[in-house]
Amino acid sequence: MLEVAGLTKRFGAITAVDQLAFQVRPGVVTGFLGPNGSGKSTTMRCMLDLDRPDAGTTSFNGRRYRDLDRPLHEVGSLLDAGYVHPGRSGRNHLRWLAASNGIGRKRVDEVLELVGLTSVGGTRVRGYSLGMKQRLGLAGVLLGDPHTVILDEPANGLDPEGIRWIRDVLTHLAGQGRTVLVSSHQLSEMALMADDLVVIGQGRLIEQSTVKDFIDTHAERWVRVQSPALHGLAAALTEAGAAVTTLDPITLEARGVECAQVGELAARLGIVLHELSPQTGSLEDAFLQATASAQVYRSADPFQPPAVPQ
Amino acid sequence: MINLLRAESIKLRTVTMNWVLGTIAIAFPLVVTLITAFVRGDDNDFTTDLLLEVLTGTSFITVLLVAVVAAASITSEFGFGTIRPTFAATPRRLRVITAKALVLVEFGLSVQLGVVLVGVLAGTAIAEGRGSTIDLADSPNAVPALVGTVVLAAIVSLIGLGVGLILRSTPAAVALLILWPLMAEGLIGGLLGLVFDSEEPARWMPFRAGFRIAQLNIIDDGPSRLMSGVYFGAVSLAMVALGSWLVNRRDA
Repeated sequence: MLEVAGLTKRFGAITAVDQLAFQVRPGVVTGFLGPNGSGKSTTMRCMLDLDRPDAGTTSFNGRRYRDLDRPLHEVGSLLDAGYVHPGRSGRNHLRWLAASNGIGRKRVDEVLELVGLTSVGGTRVRGYSLGMKQRLGLAGVLLGDPHTVILDEPANGLDPEGIRWIRDVLTHLAGQGRTVLVSSHQLSEMALMADDLVVIGQGRLIEQSTVKDFIDTHAERWVRVQSPALHGLAAALTEAGAAVTTLDPITLEARGVECAQVGELAARLGIVLHELSPQTGSLEDAFLQATASAQVYRSADPFQPPAVPQ
Repeated sequence: MINLLRAESIKLRTVTMNWVLGTIAIAFPLVVTLITAFVRGDDNDFTTDLLLEVLTGTSFITVLLVAVVAAASITSEFGFGTIRPTFAATPRRLRVITAKALVLVEFGLSVQLGVVLVGVLAGTAIAEGRGSTIDLADSPNAVPALVGTVVLAAIVSLIGLGVGLILRSTPAAVALLILWPLMAEGLIGGLLGLVFDSEEPARWMPFRAGFRIAQLNIIDDGPSRLMSGVYFGAVSLAMVALGSWLVNRRDA
């Protein structure tokens, strides 16, 4: 179990993390979400005692990070795949990391094999792609066979196969009963991978829940209907208080009603239905809705092409 | 601590630049010694004192290169971000710095010890081949001066580490380590000499005092070889202590 309590970090006048508190339970993948500048990376650095927090604590199975004798055996972390010396080989990078925690060379070769980098283990890291560096970083995480794994944007730079691979690895690790906290901007990927979510904005906790509950709470729900007699059904739904949007001559979307109500109404009017399905917004929709008020860096209006001179 | 020493040793040995600088640090005084032996050996003029002067004189370059390696060993960690996995793997930062300091001192000692041993052996062999005789017992200051060069290299490796910990930037640390002994100390010492109308303050500039421990013949009446070494060592430890305090306090 990973517990963050009252974590606060200030950089001058800016409060990057503000009284943040959440728990991450073992056995599931927990996604750590927030808009750019929301304090995710700072929080992770504070959790690992790399940044000195102004207040608050983080505990790993009840112990502070600084009190862990050989942390790699308990907490594996990857904050940035670029934290490697480009002139050092991948194997040598893992060797010093392993040596610092009393881990032998055999384990270095094992984790290189595990992440698929055995053939390039002797190559200098400056020759690695970003995806290869991510794999090397994950090898470092796995070195000590830790019970807790913390990853900041691990899918960055990975190709589709790599993204799927990292999803499988993290799901597998969680399935072994480990505590897995992972931040990512790839919300579609997070929807597939995570069971729980911790969502923050402007350094504060917005919500902690399961992915399903988060989507149910924040994403829009509607009913999609296809019918050859759409006109009559649309009028009846509007009369029943639903907000109706007609997409094409045989398809509409109705908001403010449930599938059962639509079905019963159609049956009463003798209208044939070709499709009647409940629709829910994506994790992305829910995330944007939940964090709308906590966006630090907001985009301007979509780009408008310049007017063509007359 | 053994694990950390192994980790820091691997870090030092697995960067090519350290091998390049270490090789230059060893090769430069040896090349100068060999050239001198060949040039002066013909005239039976390659004496013990000349060999010692070449070895102690060129140690200046060796120790500067040792200092650069020492500084880069920590500044490159900040530059490439490896300081974060380092401190994540060992949250007690002072242990990491202690291990790094010990490994760097061992590096400095090894490099300069190598220079002295190979220099004396090669110089002796070449000189004897050309009819000269090299006998360290001929010079009463031979052993103190040669030991002094080795001690100097160890102390300077600590100075390099301290400067690196404080500045956290390779260009800034390297520039300071080269320009300070070559220029700044001369200027500041000169100014202090004018202000106090005395040579004494200049003699206590750190590097000037430090290099006294490696001088063959100390001709002025400044601090003794031992006092210079103690003073320079204290300055280097103070810099490491200041750097450690800053690193322990700052975000990684």
